Amino acid sequence: MSLAVETVGLSKSYGPVRAVESVSLRVGRGEIYGFIGRNGAGKTTTIRALLGMIRPSAGSVRMLGEAVGPHGRGPWRRVGHLVEEPSAYPELTVRENLEIARRLQGLQGSAATSRAIERLGLGPYADRKAGVLSSGNLKRLGLARALLHGPELLVLDEPANGLDPAGVVEIRELLAGLVREHGVTVFMSSHILTEVDRLASRIGIIHQGSLIEEIEAGKLEELRSPRLEVEARDLEAAQRALAEAGFETIAQGGTLILNQAEAIAAPDRVAAILVNAGSPPTRLAIQQEDLEAHFLRLTGEMA
Amino acid sequence: MSWFLAALWAEGLKARRSRVIAATGAAFLLFPLVDGLFMIILKDPDQARAMGLISTKARLVAGVADWPSFFQFLLQGTAAGGAILFAFVTTWVFGREFSDHTVKELLAIPTRRATIVAAKLLLTALWAMGLTLVMFLLSLGIGKAVDMPGWSSELARTSLGDVLLTALLTYLLIPMVALFASMGRGYLLPLGWALGSLVMAQIAALLGWGDYFPWAVPALTSGALGPRAEQIGLHSYLSVLLVFIVGTLGTFAWWRSADQSR
Repeated sequence: MSLAVETVGLSKSYGPVRAVESVSLRVGRGEIYGFIGRNGAGKTTTIRALLGMIRPSAGSVRMLGEAVGPHGRGPWRRVGHLVEEPSAYPELTVRENLEIARRLQGLQGSAATSRAIERLGLGPYADRKAGVLSSGNLKRLGLARALLHGPELLVLDEPANGLDPAGVVEIRELLAGLVREHGVTVFMSSHILTEVDRLASRIGIIHQGSLIEEIEAGKLEELRSPRLEVEARDLEAAQRALAEAGFETIAQGGTLILNQAEAIAAPDRVAAILVNAGSPPTRLAIQQEDLEAHFLRLTGEMA
Repeated sequence: MSWFLAALWAEGLKARRSRVIAATGAAFLLFPLVDGLFMIILKDPDQARAMGLISTKARLVAGVADWPSFFQFLLQGTAAGGAILFAFVTTWVFGREFSDHTVKELLAIPTRRATIVAAKLLLTALWAMGLTLVMFLLSLGIGKAVDMPGWSSELARTSLGDVLLTALLTYLLIPMVALFASMGRGYLLPLGWALGSLVMAQIAALLGWGDYFPWAVPALTSGALGPRAEQIGLHSYLSVLLVFIVGTLGTFAWWRSADQSR
């Protein structure tokens, strides 16, 4: 089966400014792919290129196995999207806005509109003009439009932005349910890293236009696990002493990392081993890095 | 329902709910009302003199209160008003998608962009020609109510043909406005273009080569730029057609190819 999203060397320049540089993505069916980056990192440019709204300067984009371009109907019957802030025709009601989307999607009958209204909790606002909606309800309208035609792939740019905490939870559960029950693939960008952390099965970090890291779900778990970090003047001697005592260590820069539960439970024992071996620790700390800390460290190092 | 009919339905719904479209309609329908008012003034010269400026203006434009003068004024109103109001409608139909940021909802969907552009252009054409017809029918009622001499069904038929030809020529210049609304991503550029082309049309007519300047052709046809209609020929109509083709193809090409990064 073809990939849900595939870009090869995707680049986009605006004059001398390189907004996206050689981004290659492969998102499988049924994945929730979190796409994170700082403001101006290239998230929205990438998403617009995925949706054929901008022409890549170089590289190619395929969605659900079909090449993306301005010609033909493309894969859009199977793709739902929400790009940046949601927009709607302010003089039309919520229902009319969705009816326009339904007809332009080629869907028969208005059942899909009613289903989308119900699914996003827009019932009380269905006959209100979109111009008077709160930003949260406008976001719901945008999501309802994205889900209207039962897409196989959802491309969402900041889907939780502007929602209240209950709305954030609701959208998280909605997306998780779509993936679990209908096998929908979700490609979402967000700056709410806790949300991405909770939802995504894989995360791509974009920085200054380049994809600098992709993190699998397993690695995310690893990031969340506590670890003991040890620094010493003679790192090699310290590593030997700990190995002799039965502790596995990973050297990372000037730091030794111990992941075993025994080491984390008894850091005083680790300290005693090092002192007895004549290589006392200069720093010994239990660390737990989450996605946010990892992201900030990674993008901070590269800034 | 075909993709095109769906797109046309969508454009129609947006138009029906919009105050802008209704306002332009009301403005266009003012012409027969003002025309009728002038005729009432011209029917009674004493009252016309007592009214100062308005009566002076009425004499300048029409002269006598009869059906030929009434239709001639209507024709000139179609050329001048149509150039502005058709441009205003087109600016809104295309420009609002960028101003309201709704254009991004029209790009990654199964309905082709060309279908959406075609629906928008057809809506503006239907609106322009429909409004012209309604205006003409309204003018017949107003003319009857004023009770002027010189009526004949032959005159009414000829005048209807002239009004529709002027409206059609005016409309054929409109796709350029659609192109500028798309390129400018909003209202300013197309409205600036519409006003600028109107001024240029006046200058071109004054210089004596208005028949070669497409934006002067509708006004010259209607007589709004003075008694120069004899200059209008095939070359004039072809120049208007050329603008229509360039504007239409340009708008289609722009929607298909331009980056939509806002």
